[in-house]
Amino acid sequence: MSDNFIERPRYVCALGGAAATISALPGGIPILHSASGCAGNFAWAQNGGSGLQVGGYCGTLSIPSSNVQEREVVFGGDSRLREQVESTLKVMDGQIYAVLTGCVTEVIGDDIKTVVADFRSQDVPIIGAETGGFKGNSYWGYDLALQALFREFVERGTAKVKSSVNLWGVVPSADPFWRGNLEGVRRLLEALGVTVNSFFTPEDTIENIRGAGSAALNIVVSHVYGVEAAKLFEEIHGTPFLSLSLPVGASASEAFLRSVGKALKISSQKINTVLNREKQAYFRFMEPLTDCFNDLDLQRYAVVVGDANYATALTKFLADDLGWLPELTVCTDPLEDDERDRLTSQLNVLESRYKTTLVFETDGSRAIEHLQKKWPPSGGQKYHNAFSPAFVIGSSLERELAQAIGAPHLSVSFPVANRAVLDRGYTGFRGGLRLVEDILSAVVAGR
Amino acid sequence: MSYIDLKSPPKREDRLKACIAHGGTICEMAGAKGKKSCLHDDGERSFTQGSICLILPALAMLNSLPDNVVLLHSAIGCGGCTHSQNANVRFGSNVRWGRPKDGVWLSTAMDETDVISGGEEKLEQAIIEADRRYRPFSITVVAGCVPGIIGDDIDGVVQRVQPQVTAKLLPVHCEGFKTKIWATAYDAVYHGIGRTLLREGEQAPTGDGLAPFKGLERLSRTVNLMNVSSMGRVDEVELERLLTTLGLEVNVFPVFAHPENMVKATQAALSVSTCPTHDDYFLGYLEERFGVPSLIRHMPIGIENTGLWLRDVAARFGEEEKAERIIEHEERELNEALEEFRPLFKGKKVFISAGEFRALATARLLEELGFTVSGIRSFHHDEFAEVEYQKLAKSSKDDYVIDIANVQPFEEANLLKRLKPDLFLGHANGNGTAAKLGIPTHVIYNTGLAYIGYKGVYEIARRLYRQLKNPIYNRKLAENLRLPYSDAWYTSDPFSHIDQRGGVAA
Repeated sequence: MSDNFIERPRYVCALGGAAATISALPGGIPILHSASGCAGNFAWAQNGGSGLQVGGYCGTLSIPSSNVQEREVVFGGDSRLREQVESTLKVMDGQIYAVLTGCVTEVIGDDIKTVVADFRSQDVPIIGAETGGFKGNSYWGYDLALQALFREFVERGTAKVKSSVNLWGVVPSADPFWRGNLEGVRRLLEALGVTVNSFFTPEDTIENIRGAGSAALNIVVSHVYGVEAAKLFEEIHGTPFLSLSLPVGASASEAFLRSVGKALKISSQKINTVLNREKQAYFRFMEPLTDCFNDLDLQRYAVVVGDANYATALTKFLADDLGWLPELTVCTDPLEDDERDRLTSQLNVLESRYKTTLVFETDGSRAIEHLQKKWPPSGGQKYHNAFSPAFVIGSSLERELAQAIGAPHLSVSFPVANRAVLDRGYTGFRGGLRLVEDILSAVVAGR
Repeated sequence: MSYIDLKSPPKREDRLKACIAHGGTICEMAGAKGKKSCLHDDGERSFTQGSICLILPALAMLNSLPDNVVLLHSAIGCGGCTHSQNANVRFGSNVRWGRPKDGVWLSTAMDETDVISGGEEKLEQAIIEADRRYRPFSITVVAGCVPGIIGDDIDGVVQRVQPQVTAKLLPVHCEGFKTKIWATAYDAVYHGIGRTLLREGEQAPTGDGLAPFKGLERLSRTVNLMNVSSMGRVDEVELERLLTTLGLEVNVFPVFAHPENMVKATQAALSVSTCPTHDDYFLGYLEERFGVPSLIRHMPIGIENTGLWLRDVAARFGEEEKAERIIEHEERELNEALEEFRPLFKGKKVFISAGEFRALATARLLEELGFTVSGIRSFHHDEFAEVEYQKLAKSSKDDYVIDIANVQPFEEANLLKRLKPDLFLGHANGNGTAAKLGIPTHVIYNTGLAYIGYKGVYEIARRLYRQLKNPIYNRKLAENLRLPYSDAWYTSDPFSHIDQRGGVAA
């Protein structure tokens, strides 16, 4: 890692993360108070990194944006913002509007709070968040957008409904599989008989989001993304939260359901019933793979490169579900020490007791150096215990690493330039099956 | 003092009086009904949608340069566009050198501390570290909005650090809030190349006038073929084919050119632009400092325009007769090949959206294929395009709408609902609106596809034929999705959010 730059950043800025988050809400209309190029930059980033998914109902170049220029830098952009919000309400048809600031308007100190509050006092469903790009990356922008939603849109003082939960922690478009992943977790929770509000799936409605304060529990399927928003939610609406790993595959889903069940005081009998059903189905699908899995010798060493959600979740899946040997896990997010500790502790408790090396490295091209520290390349000796057969699971930028070590490769973490993704997700038991299919298909592609 | 001596190039709204907000018609733009074709006072929109800024086209060029590291000095999000442009870098490397290669781009990821205390020191360290880690021939230091607004002096940093590093350092100014004309990007990149890699030679001008870069000879049959990333390799090959038939050697510049070899551009006998929107700034520099004359008039898109482009080049080398023979032969072959597509195209209405010159040249091409133009959206307007508007005004039976807009799909949605064209051609990330309205669509620019020259005409025709043979995909989108606009918007005047405060320029 460098203190001075980040190589090929695998995310955009706070504004980009927030814009994607608002766009993913039902009828969500972001209003960028920023320079003109921000929206386009995000569109092109999605185009190249989000598995061929760009925008949605109101995304990419459809996003209203005040497009501030030098004039606003000199004289301030408040009146331009007011004009833009007014005209947005005439032209656009949304269920929720969110003013999001970019670098320029934040540095010049525009007062968006007053503008937003004025419109809200006229019953406009509008919120505002200060998401200047220099405040952080997409993931932090997601957190900031959720904070604004919880603070300014979710109704206060609603009565709690037992066995009703809110779910978040998967970041729209920054996780190319966000839609499938959210649905996968939703299905898991619904199997427990829990009512779920997950904000961003086709089943979610703006009314349910407004009433999200009634949830008995908030479930954040991340140890980093949306955690600060969960703390704020608890402070404002009194709902406690669980921060859990993204449940990719069977073992993680089982642990997930047990944790949630415990928190919601669901009887262990009921949880066991659900788990038995799900596991039986899972292993019936896995059963016919048994011969080829063995005969083709499909166990692999692996390098995992991913964001804070995927780095640990994929490692855990490979080690505990597939019985693979994930020797090196590279988390490419820039993280605080306490966030790193949380991720490290996840990999210390693998069911398989497999020991992987977790490194925090923003610069993907250095993964090979970390690998070679642990697995020095062959010096041409006759007998050499090489890092082989191997597999690389990461982003499409890991194709160079995979090529360098002669391993097949699967893109899962942003950027995913070389796959088309729609409803595919890797969470839950079914998601585990998808991931087994995708990984092994890459291994046997030349068969 | 010329522009190149300044730290950063002037913005195009100043240099070329370029504008982005106007709703007009083809006849008006061509000057037939009242002079409006050069808008000295641009309009302003009271409602605007997001767009791109100059950093995107600039990065599309810079990331293609082999042995170059792009170092963005800005907040972490700027340059995210590279994830999509990287596909062009990979394909482009593969088709030129047989190996796909990812671009190398870095960001200083300026944070709140940098905003408060300035980012110059971080940039200095970043340059030094990037030089040591990647050992590139050059590092292009690209400034986004944040350094522009807090006053980081990237030119000063580059000057201070240059003696400590091996790589050549090129500052490129892309502060997005400073210009609304993203075509300023081409000037910004060319400016960096000119000031750093192609400084004037040391030898005195010869008797023939200005000389190439020091120690280099003039190449009397070599032409610079300018490509700022608006053409893929397949299009370069087509133009090389035509120019080679004229007996010329071709030096493609600047995309995918190794920075060390860029000096070759000063040796050419002529620089040939493929798009006046792109190249005027740099061609002026090559002419003024190195005595390389230039051609910047037609875009070789479409049958007539390709012929005009080729004739212009040929005339500079006394090869007019050869050009006529080539054109006659090419046109005959092409027209025969197009016959099978024409019945499907005849009379179908088309709406075109792209950078100004490309949109207009493509409109002319579509007319040649038998389509009727029902509207054009140009991303900006400047004086170079007047001649193209005139060509189109002459060839059209009816007047039709021209929307000058830096995208703004809300205006387009409104217009398309009224015009109901049979086909829409738009820029990348700019076809979604038409597609969701059920209109068959095709991308007007993609570096993997052919658009240019005679072969480009044929390939476009082939692709449009495919699209029109089965347009059900978009029709089903329209039946099941809606655009994010209010019902009231569709009944409003499409240009009602443009305040033409400048009025009609005299």
